[in-house]
Amino acid sequence: MNKKNKSLALGFGILGIIIMILPFFAGPYARIIGRAVISYMILALSWDILIRSGQLSFGLAGLFGLGGYISVILTANFGIPGLLSIVLAGVIVGIVAAVIGAAVLRLRGMYFAITTMAFGEIFKIIMHNWKSVSGGPNGKILQGALFQGDSNLGYALMLILALLVILLSEYFKRSRYHFALTAIRDNEVTAKSGGINIYTTLVFTFVVTSMVQGIAGAANSQLIGFVSPESSFNANYTLIPLAMALLGGMYGTWGPVVGAVLLGVLGEFLKLYIPYGHLVVYGLIIILVLLFMPQGIVGLIKRYLFVDTGNDPLPEEKSATKKELSENE
Amino acid sequence: MNRKGISLMLILLMAASMIFAQGGQDSDTIKFGGVWPLGDITGEQASKAAQVAVDEINANGGLLGKQVELIVIDSEFNPEKGAAAIERLATIDKVDFFVGVVSSGVHLGQIPTLKTYKKITMITGAASHLAEEAIGADQEWYFHLHPWDYNQGASYVEGWNAIAEKYSEISIGRWFLAYEEGAFGSASFEATKALFSDMEIDGEPFLSAAAGGGDYSAVLQRAKAYDPDVFIWAGYDADALPLLEQSKAIDFDPALFVGAPPGWPADFGESKLAEDVTLYGLWAPSLNEISEVSAKFYNGFIAKTGTEPATYFAPLGYAAIQIIAQAVEEAGTMDQDAIIAELKKIQYESPTGEVISFGPSNIISNQGIRNQKILQWQNGVQQVIWPFEQATSEPKYPFTPWSQR
Repeated sequence: MNKKNKSLALGFGILGIIIMILPFFAGPYARIIGRAVISYMILALSWDILIRSGQLSFGLAGLFGLGGYISVILTANFGIPGLLSIVLAGVIVGIVAAVIGAAVLRLRGMYFAITTMAFGEIFKIIMHNWKSVSGGPNGKILQGALFQGDSNLGYALMLILALLVILLSEYFKRSRYHFALTAIRDNEVTAKSGGINIYTTLVFTFVVTSMVQGIAGAANSQLIGFVSPESSFNANYTLIPLAMALLGGMYGTWGPVVGAVLLGVLGEFLKLYIPYGHLVVYGLIIILVLLFMPQGIVGLIKRYLFVDTGNDPLPEEKSATKKELSENE
Repeated sequence: MNRKGISLMLILLMAASMIFAQGGQDSDTIKFGGVWPLGDITGEQASKAAQVAVDEINANGGLLGKQVELIVIDSEFNPEKGAAAIERLATIDKVDFFVGVVSSGVHLGQIPTLKTYKKITMITGAASHLAEEAIGADQEWYFHLHPWDYNQGASYVEGWNAIAEKYSEISIGRWFLAYEEGAFGSASFEATKALFSDMEIDGEPFLSAAAGGGDYSAVLQRAKAYDPDVFIWAGYDADALPLLEQSKAIDFDPALFVGAPPGWPADFGESKLAEDVTLYGLWAPSLNEISEVSAKFYNGFIAKTGTEPATYFAPLGYAAIQIIAQAVEEAGTMDQDAIIAELKKIQYESPTGEVISFGPSNIISNQGIRNQKILQWQNGVQQVIWPFEQATSEPKYPFTPWSQR
């Protein structure tokens, strides 16, 4: 990376840290909005990790809602502490995803996308009818929200989760999974001939991203203190993260992060200043950005602000190259 | 970093600071903070009706010599956003009163925040008893206008029994409930089975047009074969016309055809299919004939928005502001305890055709309206057929056969 790119990356890093920390000093309102934005950011990132393999998932709301329900049921019915229930919800959603993934990841493209779309409805119907456990149509409330509703702690929890998911996304970007997922997306036959176990890679990625979605849903439900079929499995938890990832730019960590912050903050801004027309303006902005910025905002920033250094190798590529060189020597 | 990069960052920081900026408090203004879902007709009309009330108050000199302001924030039907809106109204806009809410889910998300600030709150929606449990007892600042779900159920039983008693030709012994398979419809079916347990009840779910469905043929055929005295469908406004179309197609015309969606499609009454359809609600334009307050509200709403109020959440939004304003005037001060004391004594003649006062419900101390009304579309107009003291028409019975329309 050249000097200009380094200073730009540093500048954006500092800006990102300021934006992430800002809600701690901007009052409870900013923290709750920040919490909501981070929930969507986590979903957008997890969706992006899977789409790097070319598998388009519409199951975000289903897994998010399932995580929320499991966590609240564990706390309300079995007295398991909130934080522990979030972890357990992630594990259980991971197990469910492994079972489902083993079946649905034999499907590709449109068939996989449509099948995942059904997750939300299936889990919703189960929770809706399993009245003795889930509370049925009325949902379930906790005696008290996690941290007794303390917005600082709530925001801090979501921020920590977001940082962990950013690290996870970077791991998928910088490790051998990056090459495996990209190869699967580009050409499965070539990927297979290159020694990649496509099915195992996809199931593993699906399980990991589903766990992330389940944990996000569990944390969200613990922080608001209740679950209900209509709010927990709301389609917005699928559609908004997708819009965020598309707006920010796909196939990387920073696109979904930037898209979530911009769309989340912009949505709130429009809502306050154009109360009755904000949804129209919001939709219009998304359409215009997608039409004229197909690479997303991060793609645009890279194009106009950063100096194109050609094919800067990734860290793993660098180490691989070094290894090859030393072997040749 | 180059100039473009610095400019971009400055723009982002400016945008963030504008959103989270602290609003200045103007002591010469009394502020109401309203939270409704503005993308939905219920919230949109409730908030606009609340503004009609604020404009009326200001036109009459304001409250305690001060102008009144209404700040509305969209809940987006999202519990977290609904709670954030309360935080903003309390900490940045520094409102004196909270009003609003459609949706129990959103309200459940708001309750912890409302309990933090304990400002006088007048709730226009949220029927779920879970919300009442979450609020709990001894929250004297909390006033709930909309009937709770059990209040609504009890009023349906009372209403239908009264109608059957008064009009001996009307039979209500055999019921069939077609319900959308989501939370709303299923809960309605469970509640109906429990409430009308001494009658014959059957039912079947359908996929609502609002959720991508819209084919009611199976459930209507089942209902026709069951031959009920009363056929009720609990779905959404999107189901209303196609469900009637399909009923006509299979010639299913039960003696009482009742719809129980939260809202109706615009201009539903203009369709010939609407004739004789019975429904539940808190208000109808026909109440203008018997209530001056209703007529005043109705005309004010049309003058301000250019549209007719199509949902009872509109008069509830209007009433929420007027009730608090009346209590402030009676108290003669902005002292919260004094206003609560006046609210507890209030007898507010509302646009819904009844005098609203507050008293204990199962848990809370300040419950307002307890009864839903039973209405019927007659010649394109929603007429009140029960309670009889607010009735604007007699029930039309039985349902006019499709062949005669």
